[in-house]
Amino acid sequence: MGIISNPPSLLNIIDFMKKKGAIIEIVLAIVSLSSVLILILIVVFVFNEALPALLFLGPRLILGGKWAPYYEEYGALPLILGSLLVVLGSALIAVPLGVLSAIFLTEYLPRSLGEPLRSIIELLGTIPSIIYGFLGMIFIAPVISNLFEVPLGKTALTGSIVLSIMIVPTIVSISSEVIASVPKEYKMAALALGATKWQCIKSVILPTAMPGIFASILLALGRAIGETIAVLMVCGCVPIIPSPPWNYLSPVHTLTSAIALDMGEVAIGSLHYHVLFGLGVILMLITFTVNTIADILLKKAPRSVIRV
Amino acid sequence: MKKYRFLEKFIFISLSLPVTALILCFLWILVSIGVEGVKSLSWKFLITSVMDGGIFESIVGTLYMLGGAVTIATPIGVATAVYLAEYAKGGKIARIIIQAIHNIAGIPSIIFGLFGYTFFCTFLGFGISLLSGWLTLACMILPIIVSGSYEAISMVPLSFKKAAIALGASKLRVIRDVVIPTAAPGIATSIILGISRVAGETAAILFTSCVYLTNGLPSNPLQPVMTLTYNLFGMLVATPRDSLGDAFAMALVLLMIVIVLNTFAYFMRIYYRRRWNI
Amino acid sequence: MKTSTLALISLLSFVLGTVVGLIIGPIISPQTPQTRAFPEDSAWRKESIRVVGSTTVLPIGSECAKAFMKKYKTVKITVEGGGSGRGYKELIDGVCQIGMASRPPKEKELELARKKGVFLVLHKIAVDAIAIVVHPSVVERLGGEPLKLTLEDVGKIFAGKYTRWSEVDPRLPDEEIVVFTREHGSGTRDTFEKFCLKPFGLKLKPGASEVPSNPTMRLSVEKTPYSIGYLGMGFLKGGVVAVHLAEKKGELYYEPTRENAIAGIYPIVRYLYLVTNGIPESGSLIDRFIDFVKSPEGQSIVEKCGFIAMYPRQGD
Repeated sequence: MGIISNPPSLLNIIDFMKKKGAIIEIVLAIVSLSSVLILILIVVFVFNEALPALLFLGPRLILGGKWAPYYEEYGALPLILGSLLVVLGSALIAVPLGVLSAIFLTEYLPRSLGEPLRSIIELLGTIPSIIYGFLGMIFIAPVISNLFEVPLGKTALTGSIVLSIMIVPTIVSISSEVIASVPKEYKMAALALGATKWQCIKSVILPTAMPGIFASILLALGRAIGETIAVLMVCGCVPIIPSPPWNYLSPVHTLTSAIALDMGEVAIGSLHYHVLFGLGVILMLITFTVNTIADILLKKAPRSVIRV
Repeated sequence: MKKYRFLEKFIFISLSLPVTALILCFLWILVSIGVEGVKSLSWKFLITSVMDGGIFESIVGTLYMLGGAVTIATPIGVATAVYLAEYAKGGKIARIIIQAIHNIAGIPSIIFGLFGYTFFCTFLGFGISLLSGWLTLACMILPIIVSGSYEAISMVPLSFKKAAIALGASKLRVIRDVVIPTAAPGIATSIILGISRVAGETAAILFTSCVYLTNGLPSNPLQPVMTLTYNLFGMLVATPRDSLGDAFAMALVLLMIVIVLNTFAYFMRIYYRRRWNI
Repeated sequence: MKTSTLALISLLSFVLGTVVGLIIGPIISPQTPQTRAFPEDSAWRKESIRVVGSTTVLPIGSECAKAFMKKYKTVKITVEGGGSGRGYKELIDGVCQIGMASRPPKEKELELARKKGVFLVLHKIAVDAIAIVVHPSVVERLGGEPLKLTLEDVGKIFAGKYTRWSEVDPRLPDEEIVVFTREHGSGTRDTFEKFCLKPFGLKLKPGASEVPSNPTMRLSVEKTPYSIGYLGMGFLKGGVVAVHLAEKKGELYYEPTRENAIAGIYPIVRYLYLVTNGIPESGSLIDRFIDFVKSPEGQSIVEKCGFIAMYPRQGD
């Protein structure tokens, strides 16, 4: 009787395994949600620390034109403009360089040559920013100083040059992938109609790949705005609005380097402390917007896997 | 006809210029740091304590920092990738998690520094310590491991999984014995890429875990640590010296670490692609 | 060899490297068993403290810490710069035990300290003079004569009232003045503004470039033609030229030398401090370290760093 009433039947084992499977699934789900938790924590804590500054200063934080914490003036406009100048400058250099390189690597070179070269360029993107800042400070700043006869070689131009090399790999890498995944039928059709290679690229491939290429540019810009160490070392750290505003030979100060420089010496709870977090909030808003637009565009582009 | 051929050649040459310029840039960076760095780099320099002018603790400190960060991030990252690829594929939860991962990836490193300071150092009370650095860097590595592992796991051929199921394996078994081992090179690649991403990171640990000078290595994770990036930053910006020899040597060590890590990742990717014909 | 094996090996060697470091590290790190020799007196030997703050005081703090740690191998003293502001901040936040400062605390810092129940105690350890320095290109045409300025002249230059060197003195080159200043928490900056800007109701001009420490200030002025800056006299070396200062017009101009500072005739003189939260507990590491800095050995280090000792030095 006893043996028959409780045999370890197959159904029991399957039931146990199902439960174990369910538990594992729940555990994995919880662990995965930690990413969401981290994001929420970051947003909450940074905003929380920024709140006193945002409430106390209001729009003055963004619109005020004088950044002089020593005299308790916290207008971040020079910083925002500084960041914009450097980023736009780097885009002007990096976009042509990057897109044209991507086209060359994918369309004009055989895969055996194009792939390794592309990897070398991607390697450029992994070099630590402090090394870029180092080289920029030691080699590029003096050149700018001599070439344009400015006593201080650390200018927005120097920052743009250094930053452009740092973001080109992003553009090259993603644009290459996008261009390579344009369906071969499109190319074949154009060539069959008698187009030259360049005509094919210009009229067929580029328009198709444009959303993806544009997304790569935006991602690169997002990275550029968030760059801290390299710009800190080569932009001069002078929080002014250059006169005229497009004077690239003027030293500037960026949002990121202001946070990095000042964070070390502000006591927790002082207004300056909260203002720095306020700068962080501004930075996060800008990068979030840029990255979201880039994400939307990338979904439209012909790609098959998610990529970070 | 001739006009087109000439134009095409001209275009070819013009388009090759940007790539050439970039490759030359890369070589220039290697050469500048390499030549100057080698002059001051010696075995003695690597072994001597920072107190006596060497960089031993900086190197070991960097290894500690990277080791801890990646140890924390890997289990979470791989588990997330497994969940996304095997359990929740395409579902609403998956979309939320993926969106969160993308957003974290786009956050500038200085913001991680701010977050690390206010959350790990102040709120959780870890202070300026190795632990705070580990946690801050782990957050930065996470998106890289998740996305790389997700890619690797997704590429495991369906036939493998079906074969295992046909043999009677449970879902867990399939994942543990088929999916993970097959995806292992891809996962390892993402881990190495994650390490190299934060190996050169300065802004995030600037005020969460590092110091310029201390006696020896941290004896427990709640003490601050010296790292290559932070000490190099100090040497160049905060307390510059007249001769840059030491700085070049440190930069060379840092550069070598990053390049070696990335080269391994590159070869692993090649192997992986070749194996699965992608 | 298969590439995947290669990858596995690389990962393993990385882990191995960390483990080896973990093992070798404590061995190479000095950890002699001195605690066994003095059981009653030993609590302080196992302590570890952070000394943070003024980059002016940093060389003194750093060298004294090294000497101290060489003597008493088990203690751990971490020394960091960041400016007097950082020193006060970390002391108030409880993140460091000794602050280094080249200025007394500001109103806001006192308020914050009060709010957090921190009682700032300043320990004077040295005397310093602030030198105003310019790039050699500025004084080229003076033919060996020093550049003489009053405090107000200096203030006007830094405030942007003079934009070209020729406006200050017709003998100087007609070039734009490049102004360097320190970060906002800097004690050196505070002292400088107290003497050269505040008395004349002036404010630093927005176009001044901020540098984070004394050595960076010196290098920046040294490398940038037509530039001007200020630094602690311990950092007065290399390719920068010191300005001779007079308090007011009509008075004598003095160089920032040790003799002039001690005699009290150089206009910008100040104390350097170590700051603690309350009076340090007798026998603790904080107490012993501060005593060490004030001791003859410590004061010799002060002089070696280019500052002026306050207490008798070794061999006095």
